[in-house]
Amino acid sequence: MRPPVIEELSSLVGREYVMDKLEDRICYSCDATFRSGVPEVVVRPGSVEEIMGIVRLASRRGIPITPRGASTGLSGGAVPIKGGICLDLTRLNRILEIDVVNRVATVEPGVITDDLASAVSRAGLFYPPDPSSSKVCTIGGNIAECAGGPRGVKYGVTRDYVLGLEVVLPSGDLVQVGNPVDGEMSGPDWTMLLVGSEGTLGIVTRIFLRLVDKPATKKTLLAVFETLEDAATSVSTLIASGTIPTTLEIMDNLTIRAVEDYLKVGLPVAAEAILLIEVDGAPSAVEKHCDHVIAVCKRCNASDIQVAETEDQADKLWRARRAISPACGRINPTKISEDATVPRSQLPAMVRRIKEIATKYDLKMVVFGHAGDGNLHPNILTNKHNLEEMQRVERAIEELFRCTLELGGTLSGEHGIGYMKAPFLEWETGRDGFALARQVKDSVDPKGLLNPGKMFSAISQQIT
Amino acid sequence: MKTTDKYKHDWQEQLAKCIRCGTCRSVCPVFAVTGNENSTARGKVRLIEAVTEGDLELTHEMQQRISQCLMCKACVTGCPSSVKTDWLFLDARKALAEENSVPFMKKLAFTSLTYRWLFEKALGAGTLLQRLVLKDSPDGRGMVSRIPLPAAGLNARRIIPPLATKPLRSNPLVLKPRGPRRARVAFFTGCMLNYVYPDAGKAIVDILVHNGIEVTLPIDQYCCGTPAFTSGDFPVGRYLAERNIEALSKQPLDAIITGCPSCGLALKHEYGHIIDDPRLKEKWTEIATKVHDITQFLVEIGHREDFHEVKLKLTYHDPCHLVRGMGVSQEPRQMLKAIPGIDFVEMAHADECCGAGGTFSLSYYDISRQINDKKLDAAQDTNAQVLVTGCSVCRMHIDDGLSRRQGTIKVRHTAEILAAAYRIPGKEVIS
Repeated sequence: MRPPVIEELSSLVGREYVMDKLEDRICYSCDATFRSGVPEVVVRPGSVEEIMGIVRLASRRGIPITPRGASTGLSGGAVPIKGGICLDLTRLNRILEIDVVNRVATVEPGVITDDLASAVSRAGLFYPPDPSSSKVCTIGGNIAECAGGPRGVKYGVTRDYVLGLEVVLPSGDLVQVGNPVDGEMSGPDWTMLLVGSEGTLGIVTRIFLRLVDKPATKKTLLAVFETLEDAATSVSTLIASGTIPTTLEIMDNLTIRAVEDYLKVGLPVAAEAILLIEVDGAPSAVEKHCDHVIAVCKRCNASDIQVAETEDQADKLWRARRAISPACGRINPTKISEDATVPRSQLPAMVRRIKEIATKYDLKMVVFGHAGDGNLHPNILTNKHNLEEMQRVERAIEELFRCTLELGGTLSGEHGIGYMKAPFLEWETGRDGFALARQVKDSVDPKGLLNPGKMFSAISQQIT
Repeated sequence: MKTTDKYKHDWQEQLAKCIRCGTCRSVCPVFAVTGNENSTARGKVRLIEAVTEGDLELTHEMQQRISQCLMCKACVTGCPSSVKTDWLFLDARKALAEENSVPFMKKLAFTSLTYRWLFEKALGAGTLLQRLVLKDSPDGRGMVSRIPLPAAGLNARRIIPPLATKPLRSNPLVLKPRGPRRARVAFFTGCMLNYVYPDAGKAIVDILVHNGIEVTLPIDQYCCGTPAFTSGDFPVGRYLAERNIEALSKQPLDAIITGCPSCGLALKHEYGHIIDDPRLKEKWTEIATKVHDITQFLVEIGHREDFHEVKLKLTYHDPCHLVRGMGVSQEPRQMLKAIPGIDFVEMAHADECCGAGGTFSLSYYDISRQINDKKLDAAQDTNAQVLVTGCSVCRMHIDDGLSRRQGTIKVRHTAEILAAAYRIPGKEVIS
């Protein structure tokens, strides 16, 4: 980056928050995906005014900006693939207000999701979205990618909790969309346009979030199946017949064995699949739902059903769920986590297709995920240094996307589009939908400087 | 051959395991203060990866960033993919030191460690000369520098303990057990217990003797080498490791006792990573199995329970190299709680780093102090009279912090409390 730009940025935010040494820029070159893009400068603003100043400068000089929070994303949204400015928003990390009467939390984008969830819990309320990276990831990032989590099946994803946003536009102007009044709206839902936009339309600087009641009790169950299809059928039957669990997680045999090998908590290693189910609510309702879950799983050929009797037992089961990632890391070093999401009625078909793809391309693939909302995470375990295998991985991912869409699903359940799925986005939106989105992007960000190379600003892959 | 090419292959396995998830951001004490990705393990792993991919040279700037790490191992235990970040960073420091050399003052200090005789003389002279540069701190906790000495890592307000006028190892070198001999051990004192806190060192010897253990203080033990190899000076680190292995394998021993977690960690684990010579490595393997922290050893053999009442409210701080390095955290608690009269209160985040990190606190005192302040807040919230810990470096750093905020908590080594409970003469109960 040229010295005058560095000087100008320094006068805006202070020299210590402008980093242009190669060593620092490399540290800011990646998220949790495998590709890197080294920014020309890293800027760490401390206020909305500073952000407005930086955006104006970038607009005047034509420098791309890639905003980022904790950079834990799984689709590459925060990777500065076009260089330019990496805008680290984590210094804006205040929880400004938890309004118990109106049930609204007002926060800055750099607040860590878990920190907010605990603060809300201390105030007697509940903020449900629980992405697996909640100890690290930020609310700003959750909004950018529309993050979900195991509780999504009952409580929805980040989108369902955003009431309003304060946003710095690509021009450097500041607008507020939506408002902190739950249930009220004047004009169209602009907020919805920004949630999941990955910083391509604006930089979120303040967030109003809806809070809900804390559930009184919960119960965890483990159901064991001889086939993956039976487990998938249980999921769709369960929800169709009226019980919506808090979480409904599926693990296939390879996942079970990997976790058991790593954690030794007594998972059934011979099982082809297990479902980890949690129900919450008032005690009487929990009992009723619990009985229903057991009945449905039995009807769908579950070979065993265990109910966690103590908190300790339940905790052990959830520890197993959280251990999937490290456990799989021990099988093969590179883990490519996909996010294929289909209508839950199509879950059995999707599971079958995934297995076929793994066999066809001769890849190690584990299947787990939030089965309750049709959000599967087929993970390819590979080694990025094995170039021949990586080519097969690419072809397998393409086929995975295609069959997700054929089954009426979507490319992103909760990870976003980023650079990874951008070339395939047109497959989902169709040509006209894509063109409309491009028009929106072009009118909000005519110079195309906000997070270039992501979502609608990437070059589409031809449908083959 | 280029330095990078020499090590590239060793690094790749660990590098490939990093899934860049960023979980280390939630556990790194340095990152909690700086908020800068260049302090995280993920950032550092990226730098090492960039070197292996030819995108970065082993620069001074990189050396600075790789050295901004406490070696507290929080990222090692916190890593979902089990990346051995500690060893990776040690290796990177080694390569960077080979490429850019170790800072002059450090190099001088480490080299003096290899000349034990000279080192002891220098420290002997130090005890006499320290009064020229240092004066007693007003609260009697230690000494403060008369003038700021940034090159030595001393700013004018920093409290450091005085050097002992009589090091621990000037005491008799073999101590007979009280009653029939249950075991024969060597006490690897390390530098801090020998030169700075000999009273704590003496307490370790006393409680061993009280428990029927014959204790030898091998005369030819050197510094464990941790300050050298953690700074990338592997030649000196390796030299010291080799001397210590020789010193500890001269006589049949049932155990090797440490009261300094970094020494214990070095002897038990890290030597395996820095020794090349296969003959010595074999000897080391045998030694490593015998290395025990003092409380770990006493709990394992079944210690005497003739504790007298000690009326004190205590809290305990887990030293990084004890809890994550040697896997010892329940043993000291178990022993302290067994003493009648002790009111044991856990502090919040007891196992988080105190910010000392050996030479880290010399190079990055401001960050080190901010990390320590959180520890002090947690300790003071317990209203304990004494903070007990098993590490003299933690003790020194916590004492410095307490002094700066006029805290009233006293800091003691676990062994000193145990010695007081056994009513060993000369070990008065702390009031």
